[in-house]
Amino acid sequence: MKRRDRVKIIQGKEDELLDIELNKDLLKRNEELARGNKRILEKENVLAIDIMGSIGSGKTSLIENILTRLKGRRIGVIGGDLTTTIDAERIKEKGAQIVQVNTGKECHLDANLIRKALRELNLREIDLLFIENVGNLICPGEFPLGAHQRVVVVSVTEGPHMIKKHPYIFQTARAVVINKVDLAEAMEVDLEELKADALRVNPGIRVIRTNCRTGQGIEEVIEVLKVGV
Amino acid sequence: MHEYTISSSIAKTVLTSAEENQAHKVVAINLEIGALVFLNPEQVEFWLKELFRETIAKEAKIRIKNIKPRIKCLDCNYEGAMKVDDNLLYHIMIPSFFCPQCSSRQIMVEKGRECLIKNIEIVK
Repeated sequence: MKRRDRVKIIQGKEDELLDIELNKDLLKRNEELARGNKRILEKENVLAIDIMGSIGSGKTSLIENILTRLKGRRIGVIGGDLTTTIDAERIKEKGAQIVQVNTGKECHLDANLIRKALRELNLREIDLLFIENVGNLICPGEFPLGAHQRVVVVSVTEGPHMIKKHPYIFQTARAVVINKVDLAEAMEVDLEELKADALRVNPGIRVIRTNCRTGQGIEEVIEVLKVGV
Repeated sequence: MHEYTISSSIAKTVLTSAEENQAHKVVAINLEIGALVFLNPEQVEFWLKELFRETIAKEAKIRIKNIKPRIKCLDCNYEGAMKVDDNLLYHIMIPSFFCPQCSSRQIMVEKGRECLIKNIEIVK
């Protein structure tokens, strides 16, 4: 008997209820893409850092400060923003290669958007890539992008509960940068308490205090992320 | 917004699969969402209903199963539920990423991180 003769075909009748197994995990797909991104970056020897944090906490200022200190290095920046290019303009002035990703309505970058952005960058001409995520402490945590390290930026002007209210995002981060420390007293925010909150969620996390206006703490960020020469 | 993004992907996947299977109508959608994904099931359902308007899935029943976090401890071999602080002060549950038995941080999350379209029921 020929093989195809043995195949049994079940023909669904009209109006028959059929159960279609999908078993599709939507977040897994992002994780696969993220792993692919990491392979692409590693092939070109690019170290990538995902910078997450709340709105106005100082993500762009932090990148600007790092770029100033690492002047002369070959650096790329992917900037995620809902609609504007304000941040991208600021970065461009520092001489980095920049790709702006406007997410439109989406509240986070995902691995697919990063894949597209990587195509726009000349990876052979950079050694270091900063990815500035959309200002948000909730969903970026759920979507790995393929970066080697993640950093969360918070600032004292957001009040004392920022970390304990959004624990998840700190669990996958290498470091938390507490910015605007010069305003801590005026804001009545206890920096030690913020640090304790971060360590409670992730005992391995490095807590760094910065003031991006003066450049305080930036050297430490560079050291912790091992992005210096 | 997080829920909207995820719901859009769910809707797209459901409608594509329904089309591939020559569905005439989608009757039900079964989802499994882990507690550690922090998706609000009520919002997911709301957005799916909006996204399914004017489609063959507009009358679909949306069933969302919440998957409780389960961990395995690599130090003492504990397998089971994760300790969760459900403090109303913080509005959300705060999972404790350590072993409730021996307090080790060396744990593996076995369940609770899924965002799964289990299956769909269609009429041809």
